[in-house]
Amino acid sequence: MQLVVNGKNESFSATRLTVAELLQLTGVESPEMVSVQLNEEFVDRAQYPSTSLKENDAVDFLYFMGGGAQ
Amino acid sequence: MKGFATRAIHGAQLKPEAHGSLRPPVYDNVAFEFADSNQIQLAFEGRKPAHAYSRITNPTVEELEQRVRILAGAQGVVAVSSGMAAISNIILTLAEAGTNIVTTRWIFGNTFSLFEHTLKPWGLESRYVEMTDEKALAAAIDNKTRAVFLEVITNPQMQVADIDRVVAIAHEHGVPVVLDGTVTTPYLFNSRAHGVDIEAISSTKYISGGATSMGGLILDNGLFDWRQNSKLAPYAKKFGPGALLAALRREVYRNAGACQSPHNAFLQTLGLETLSLRIDKSTANALALAQWLEAQPKIRVVNYPGLKSSPYYERSQRLFPRGVGGILTFELASRAECFAFQDALQLVRRATNINDNKTLILHPASTIFCEFDENEKAAMGVSDAMLRMSVGIEDVEDLIEDLERGLAAL
Repeated sequence: MQLVVNGKNESFSATRLTVAELLQLTGVESPEMVSVQLNEEFVDRAQYPSTSLKENDAVDFLYFMGGGAQ
Repeated sequence: MKGFATRAIHGAQLKPEAHGSLRPPVYDNVAFEFADSNQIQLAFEGRKPAHAYSRITNPTVEELEQRVRILAGAQGVVAVSSGMAAISNIILTLAEAGTNIVTTRWIFGNTFSLFEHTLKPWGLESRYVEMTDEKALAAAIDNKTRAVFLEVITNPQMQVADIDRVVAIAHEHGVPVVLDGTVTTPYLFNSRAHGVDIEAISSTKYISGGATSMGGLILDNGLFDWRQNSKLAPYAKKFGPGALLAALRREVYRNAGACQSPHNAFLQTLGLETLSLRIDKSTANALALAQWLEAQPKIRVVNYPGLKSSPYYERSQRLFPRGVGGILTFELASRAECFAFQDALQLVRRATNINDNKTLILHPASTIFCEFDENEKAAMGVSDAMLRMSVGIEDVEDLIEDLERGLAAL
């Protein structure tokens, strides 16, 4: 499937992915500190495993460093 | 790790130190290098967890933030340059022109000056109520209120509001509570457990380990739904419960430039490790001195919530089971008597600070509150015959001997 990850078009062999799976696939740094946005909307950490991604979804992994939320 | 002291020493687990040092080094530097252009772009976009420039983040400052976060159970912490920087950054993040905050006259003189002299001309209204008057508090809040602000124990009046009720009333109106917890720190009062949304702390005081350095802390307890705040709603859409922290780190704190120096953060992290020992000692000393002062005929009033005679004794026992800290105030007959008393002391230092290891004394009306006229001072509960003492960790017998010198001079 095609996704826009951190502003870049990326292809994935999987046809279905959740946010949790994408975090693992992309090897995101310090996943405990990351804030995930799906199509510019915040995704609650508890919803990562149950949030399915659609073709051409835009996913951003954002940080605000230092003492950030965990 | 359940105990406060254990967590204070072992709580933060950051990146492994290159040489295995048990005391992480001080990153007393400004800039951080990146492997390539793409990496630095990602860091600036907030898409890579990396330090870039020490005004925004720094590893030594981050260690302090993480340790405090773990100790307090907060969602996140931002360390700043002073307690006043903590308060000003919080208010600048929550409020804007045309909105208001609800607070009380019984606050630190510089905080009152910030609200009334610095922020008022920018269009922020501050509404003053008695925090112990629940009806007045509820009546002062409206749809433009962006925060209820109070101090955990007011200084120098030593009043203790029912913080649980203040939180309940503010939350009924969809307004966050900002608490200045400088004089208690998370050791004496866990603000999160009482529903407080944001805590501001001057870490210059107890946390610095003995007046070693300036610093402030902003704790977001992660309890408030920031979608309810018009200014933070766009951040909440992107960062959810991290909206306040994101707005601070990506905008207000970054732009206002009130960063804590790495050297200060190192000293304050060191101070955290002995915090509980020092607070226990100063609190025990303060109670002993308050009881001793109360028994002296020349002392007219002693204000200390740990005294059974205090109107706030029962409430304090509930809110602060470990004690009420090291600050007390007392009244003599006049300003002249206060000056004579202070000038006769040989051990207690005449200085404007609190929660030092040394016991300090100050005449609030002629110092911290000198910019206010007599009517304003009266409204702020600052008597001309009042002395404030911040009790340190000396041997209490020596402190009593010194106070006897003060009384003998009257």
